[in-house]
Amino acid sequence: MTISLTRRRTAPRPPAIQPTAGAGSRQWVGYAFLCPALLLFVLFVAGPFVAAIVLSLYRWDMLTPAQFAGVGNFTAMFGDPLLYRSLANTFVFALASLVTHLVGGLLLALGVNRLKNKVLSYFVRTSLFFPFVISWAAVALLWKYVLDPSFGLVTYYLGRLGLDTPNWFNDPSWALPSIIGIDFWHTIGFTFVIMLAGLQTVPNTLLEAARLDGANAWQTLWHVTIPMMSPTIFFAAVITFLGAFQIFDPIQIITPQGGPDNSTMSVVMYLYQKGFQSFQVGYASAVSLLVFAVMMVVTLLQFWGSRRWVHQ
Amino acid sequence: MGAPVTTGRAAPVRRRHRIRPARVVLGLVLLVVGVLMVAPLVWLIVQSLTAERAAFSLPPGWLPRPFTVDNFANIDGLIPFGRMALNSLQVSLISTVGSMLVSVLAGYAFSRLRFRGRQAILLVMLSALMVPVQTTVIPVFVLMRNLGLVDHLAALWLPALINVFAIFFFRQYFNTIPRELDEAARIDGASHPWILFRIIVPLSGPALAAMTILAFEASWNNYFGPLIFLSSPQHMTLPIGLVTLQAGQGGSSVVVFAAITAVVVPVMVVFLAFQRSFAASIASAGIRG
Repeated sequence: MTISLTRRRTAPRPPAIQPTAGAGSRQWVGYAFLCPALLLFVLFVAGPFVAAIVLSLYRWDMLTPAQFAGVGNFTAMFGDPLLYRSLANTFVFALASLVTHLVGGLLLALGVNRLKNKVLSYFVRTSLFFPFVISWAAVALLWKYVLDPSFGLVTYYLGRLGLDTPNWFNDPSWALPSIIGIDFWHTIGFTFVIMLAGLQTVPNTLLEAARLDGANAWQTLWHVTIPMMSPTIFFAAVITFLGAFQIFDPIQIITPQGGPDNSTMSVVMYLYQKGFQSFQVGYASAVSLLVFAVMMVVTLLQFWGSRRWVHQ
Repeated sequence: MGAPVTTGRAAPVRRRHRIRPARVVLGLVLLVVGVLMVAPLVWLIVQSLTAERAAFSLPPGWLPRPFTVDNFANIDGLIPFGRMALNSLQVSLISTVGSMLVSVLAGYAFSRLRFRGRQAILLVMLSALMVPVQTTVIPVFVLMRNLGLVDHLAALWLPALINVFAIFFFRQYFNTIPRELDEAARIDGASHPWILFRIIVPLSGPALAAMTILAFEASWNNYFGPLIFLSSPQHMTLPIGLVTLQAGQGGSSVVVFAAITAVVVPVMVVFLAFQRSFAASIASAGIRG
């Protein structure tokens, strides 16, 4: 979602296009075309967003009348150890997801790009992307069995290799890494496709020039391919982080209580429990604004960073 | 942006024999990665076709022996699977078709029509892309409760009709279509709806395909929404239905596997059929945007 709005807007428009603007008399046409979107936007995005801010100032359980709490919900957040725990888990998850997806996706794209065997290339591309089209619900349930301590695939084959396997989801130090691994399996295809597409944007002439100058494969990769791919890598980084920061489905399905010792409790999981299980609607709204704040900061960093660091 | 995704760059021929051993190793490594990626899915399908007494045996069975389809027949005794599949289809179709229509209209307004506040409205909508669904879900839940739509499918597809990313994507795409085309039609007396649906939309095939695929997939696989809005099994969609089946008592593991297979395999078949457009839609939404 790198947004090129400003660039497009500043492009001067030839005067020949002006007729649609009319003399201001045909303005209603624009509103008419926009009105379904605008109505839905107010009803389901803008309105609820404002409502979330208002709700965060109240104490409400959805049944009895709401009580004004001022900034009480926000000050309560500072003294909430479980919120800190969930934030820490979420950042660990998001960073692990970021690193594994970017490195894995780039390596796989580079590898597949070099494959000459059409059949093998098709097989690898398809198998990498297969898990991504499947719903999280199916993926999470499947992996509950794949990692089952008694009859799971992973347990058996790692055992054959002589490795002792932990009780993945019930072990506080393994529950979150397990979910990181499952997430990798599920979404690596997405990063891979983005990277593969980015790889095609590297001009062949540059690669050829590097080769003529005597650069080896590693130098070409490090000094030509990766700098030329920086917009793609940057985009993949932001989208992976934002997606990972909102991780919820596999956590709720595999560890419905937030895992052993709250080791898989993510921010969105915490917000779900507060809002829809213990019905602390005001507090949940405050937490949801925190999620929004993090996403906003990351998105604005993207705007700022893509101008500074990324090759254009 | 579509085709390049699937075409590999031709390597220079003169170096071919020198790199060969490395290439073989690379091929083997990628083959292993590919096999590891599909192994859980193969295991899933095989177990779902294996008789209950032999399923989940150790070492893991990679062939369905003894073969049976009873596991699939047993799903319906535990969850209304057919009903759930229809619900999923209904929600996905309504939200995809509806959101595409709404977004195409809005994209046209932002690309071609002049009206007061156009840039401001677009900017407000775009900044809303930063608002996660988790922030709006509580007020939307309260709204749905007041409308009496909790535990109705409409609670899922109504909010999905607004798709800001698609609106912006269409606006960008429409901007690349030469304005001379619609100017010519205007001079011939064509109305705006005619220009949109007879000129612009037919020229926007790739953009439309990309957004349709992404919208349908998002709706079909949605778990968060159904978890919050739906409670009775006959109103549930497939993802939440699967989880309910697994959590419920009485469902043996093979039946759960049969249900997962029944959900997953059609998606895999559709994906294989549309693989090119699928990968292209992801890449274009990512690279172009």
